[in-house]
Amino acid sequence: MRTSLLLLLATTLFANEKDSFFMKGVTLFPVASPKVENTTLLVVDGKIADIGLKSAPKGVRVIDGKGLQVYPGIINSATNIGLSEISSIRETNDTGELGDFNPQLRAIVAINPETEHIPVVRANGISTVITLPGGGGGFGGGGAGIIMGQAALIHLDGYTYEEMEINRTAAYQMRFPTMSSRSFDFDTFQTTRGSFADAKRRFDTQMAEINKFFAEARAYMTAKNAKTPGLKVNVRYEAMIPLFEGKAPVMITASKKREILAAIQFAEAQKIKLILADVRDPGSAVEDIAKKKIPCILGPVTQLPPEADAPYDFNYALPGQLHKAGVKFAFGSFANQFARNIAFEAASASAYGLPYEEALKAITLNAAEIWGVGDKYGSIEKGKYADLLVTNGDPLEVKTDVKMLFIQGRQQSLESKHTRLYDKYRLRPN
Amino acid sequence: MTTRRRDILKWASLAPLAATLKADGNPPLLIRNAKIVPVGAPPIAKGSVLVIGGFIAAVGENVTAPAGSQIVEGEGLTIYPGLIDGLSTLGLDAVAPVSRFGAGAPPPSIAAAPVSISRGPEDRPLTTPWVKAADQVKTTDRRLPQARSAGFTTAVTFPTSGIFAGQGAVINLAAERTSQMVVEPSVGMYTTLSTNRGGGFPNSLMGVIAYLRQTYIDAVHYREATAIAAKNPQLPRPGYEKALEGILEAPRTLFPAVRAYEIDRMLRLTKEFPTKTVLYGLHEGFRRGEELSKAGITAIVNLRWPEGTRDGDPEDREDLKVLELRDQAPSTPGVLAKSGVKFTFSTIGVDSPAAAIRAVKRAIDAGLPQSEAVKAMTLGAAEIFGVSNRLGSIEKGKVANLTVTKGDLFQDSTRVQFVVIDGVKHDPTVEETAASR
Repeated sequence: MRTSLLLLLATTLFANEKDSFFMKGVTLFPVASPKVENTTLLVVDGKIADIGLKSAPKGVRVIDGKGLQVYPGIINSATNIGLSEISSIRETNDTGELGDFNPQLRAIVAINPETEHIPVVRANGISTVITLPGGGGGFGGGGAGIIMGQAALIHLDGYTYEEMEINRTAAYQMRFPTMSSRSFDFDTFQTTRGSFADAKRRFDTQMAEINKFFAEARAYMTAKNAKTPGLKVNVRYEAMIPLFEGKAPVMITASKKREILAAIQFAEAQKIKLILADVRDPGSAVEDIAKKKIPCILGPVTQLPPEADAPYDFNYALPGQLHKAGVKFAFGSFANQFARNIAFEAASASAYGLPYEEALKAITLNAAEIWGVGDKYGSIEKGKYADLLVTNGDPLEVKTDVKMLFIQGRQQSLESKHTRLYDKYRLRPN
Repeated sequence: MTTRRRDILKWASLAPLAATLKADGNPPLLIRNAKIVPVGAPPIAKGSVLVIGGFIAAVGENVTAPAGSQIVEGEGLTIYPGLIDGLSTLGLDAVAPVSRFGAGAPPPSIAAAPVSISRGPEDRPLTTPWVKAADQVKTTDRRLPQARSAGFTTAVTFPTSGIFAGQGAVINLAAERTSQMVVEPSVGMYTTLSTNRGGGFPNSLMGVIAYLRQTYIDAVHYREATAIAAKNPQLPRPGYEKALEGILEAPRTLFPAVRAYEIDRMLRLTKEFPTKTVLYGLHEGFRRGEELSKAGITAIVNLRWPEGTRDGDPEDREDLKVLELRDQAPSTPGVLAKSGVKFTFSTIGVDSPAAAIRAVKRAIDAGLPQSEAVKAMTLGAAEIFGVSNRLGSIEKGKVANLTVTKGDLFQDSTRVQFVVIDGVKHDPTVEETAASR
């Protein structure tokens, strides 16, 4: 509606709109469709209004993008951005509340818009991230809960979290109990193996607790729906209702086959929407994941294989194998330290069997679709928001420079602590 | 010099009288018509062993017993020299915590190790060289009858906690009084690479290695300073350091090395030390036979072969190198024997003495000749610890320690009939036999 209004008032409005522009001479990589060379892009009021217009409408800011390439903004599907500054300094971490079941915790309300991570990550073309309430490093207080809270999908631009918000309940973050009998002994610096029977017992105990909590929450919902008089409000149970109603998925961390199958079984029994997180060693569970169309958030591929004897490319090749099996996935870094490098995780996977287009999709459109905003974000299409990355080359290539980044049409500063320090020390006399 | 040693000299000088004296008050013991494996001499298919006064008085095909001897019919039996447990904690009442480098078991607990907040080498952390197993062994250790039932007559027992844990003793596994158990009170120093987990130096492997180095440098300096001071009484005294005294006193030192890289490290490191090196552990010794042989190092192979977790995760895929070590560790003794490395066995961390014997069987199955296994557990061990003049073979004049079996040693069907320790016959009791099998 606003667009039609704009067409009427174009001359007066365009000049002042910070989220409207006309970019010419660019090559578009829309992701959802084949690339378009030497074309133009009209963004009006933060949305993509037209592609391929011969000339700029009157009054609109014109950006000459000659020789540049335009992609959708990159989405990192698992970070702690805004909640954690330096993972090893406890005071700077807001992740990992104490207690096992905290579905009522919303990561979004704790986000610090002034975190140094935002400009650093943005400088690599990332426009959007998922911020998880649970910590990856374990330094943010408890961190070992079962339902850790609600993960938020946010834009890396805004004065307040409200301005940054895309979806405050993108998913409920849940850590699934593992049946692991391995532990790390810091004295010998080796992995030690404990009793499997004990591990199994711990697993069963935790599963019983989880099922009990879900049953109680469901009973609460039933009672609430029936308008039971005198029902005492319980924020934890209350927060579970969108999950039960299918309005938000649960994102369960499950790396190995056994945990993955258990998580799938659990989600089916509970009739809740499932996203699998940090899938590393799924084995034959890949077939189940594909068959049941469960989206996955993959962790960084550039890390050591899960076992000493696993092939060196175990992690690199997994995304390709998942794609071949028909699994939809996105990449997440599960920490802040290297959150800016998410595109290179996809790139590494593309060198080991994942088709290039799919690698690009995994950090754009797939992520948007998994997080339920595929109709508004993730590709360059008319009517979608203008989250745009402008580069001088392939964004999966390390040597490519990010020239511009737009979030809902607003051009972002690409300056960060890194560039400030670079500039400062470049000028050092000797 | 020990009582026992003096006894030997006394017996030697009083040789003509020896045959008639019964110093221990027991009648002479003759085991006759048995197969004899003397070790160090060819086996005798049918012969007799005569024991008088705790010593072997005669061995051979034709031995006549003095009147009044106790006669044991040895038909179908085999007589071996008493088996020696080459490195153990037998006789030490409280089972000393096992060093992880000894048997792949957890390191000593903080409570057990002599922990102090040390600032550096000058505080001599985890260093108790004055601790002597000989002072601590007791006849009441409940494992002693089990060990005898499995065929052991002797053990080399060490204190095992700390970096310089203390000095070991050769003990016989039966005696009326504790003092009589000790054959040789100080046969070596036991070291581990334990870190000071109670806090303080050394808190890392590199710290422990630096500490070993520093301590030996200090010990050499101390020895020289003491010698100079002795010649020049007007010079200031170097002071008495009980930590260094014990280290200098030990005739040899045991260092841990289980994996090949640990063996390599110890071979390099111990070259610098002014002590005779014995390595213990050696599970990956099958890769280092030649190197150990060339270095002239003696070895004590731990009989607790690496094994998987009994109650492990069925989905756990174990690393190839772990599986390989588990598979090949028992071949180490065979490799050492072939390479000409002098070795014996350690039972530290092994569930029971009988399990230790079964572990030797695994080494035999993995290529160790039976005769070499017997030698390693008898004369080999005696030689390593410098007591081969008294123990380790069936020879006239040696201590009468014998292991008598039905069937060859280390076979599944073997039964230990009895052992003789210091000339005294010990029958396994029914429950001990049952427990040991």
